[in-house]
Amino acid sequence: MDNVMLKSKDVTLLEILDRVLDKGVVVSGDIVISVADVDLVYVGLKVLLSSVETMERLRGAPFAGAGEEPT
Amino acid sequence: MKIYAYGVIDSNSRIEDTAKGIEGAHVYSIPYRDIGIAVSDLDERYKKNVNPDYILKHEEVAERLMERLTILPMKFFTIFKDKEAILSMMSEYYDSFNENLNRLRGKLEFGLKVIWSGNAIKKRIAENNAEKSQSKLLSNGSPAKNYVMEKFEKYKMDQQFKKEGHKYSSAVSRFFKGFAVEEKLDTLKSDQLLLTASYLVEKAKQDDFKQAFERLKKNGPNDLKYLFSGPWPPYNFINLTKSEFKKA
Repeated sequence: MDNVMLKSKDVTLLEILDRVLDKGVVVSGDIVISVADVDLVYVGLKVLLSSVETMERLRGAPFAGAGEEPT
Repeated sequence: MKIYAYGVIDSNSRIEDTAKGIEGAHVYSIPYRDIGIAVSDLDERYKKNVNPDYILKHEEVAERLMERLTILPMKFFTIFKDKEAILSMMSEYYDSFNENLNRLRGKLEFGLKVIWSGNAIKKRIAENNAEKSQSKLLSNGSPAKNYVMEKFEKYKMDQQFKKEGHKYSSAVSRFFKGFAVEEKLDTLKSDQLLLTASYLVEKAKQDDFKQAFERLKKNGPNDLKYLFSGPWPPYNFINLTKSEFKKA
């Protein structure tokens, strides 16, 4: 019943990223930590995100049944 | 010492048996009126240490709380400078938090991604179109006109491609009607990613929903691949507004 893809830790991380980076409670105001700190963190996350995307793309080819993947 | 927030919860009691937080920190709750917020202390080390584990921890804490409570998960890396800042935020959003907690109580989020062979489908459409327009291209020798024709063919193909995608996503949407309380659909985020959908499902109906998904998989076109995930905290279904607009 379970999709094989779900077992992969990378895909799980990708699914989590999809949610926690864009969605959820976003509060505004001067109370949240300074933007500079968050930016610093996001640089790290962007690197992570792009490496996960690469993995997904590599995996995507055989499993999408197509010879090549879009760029 | 700063405070990292995981999510707003529908309880003002102490929380126990939670997962460890970011940097292995103890997760506790700060109550505000009849609700609370799950947090952990965060020291300055985090700036050097950010890694995928932070994201997994954020999610793990939210999922563990979700087992017993209703939670509005925060966006990753929501950090406050101190407890006062949190309490002030809680008072500002209290009404909206309450409204969301009530609406989402007893419900779970599920995710569905559907992947198709976008390239193969584009190729098929292009071949079909080429057969039809072959005669026109042959009978017209002007390079400029042929160029325009080619552009037009490409445009037509893209439109047909999108139409096929949207036809599929509306079929899925109709299919799940009755199983889910709310849905969020995103069609053709990329050529291969036919559908990205989130569903808000009543806890009591989650087995029906999963069975419906199995039927969709069995009866749908067999060249599609599916990624079904959940249950998740309701990341995609939080609609926030400030309790009252306060001018600084």
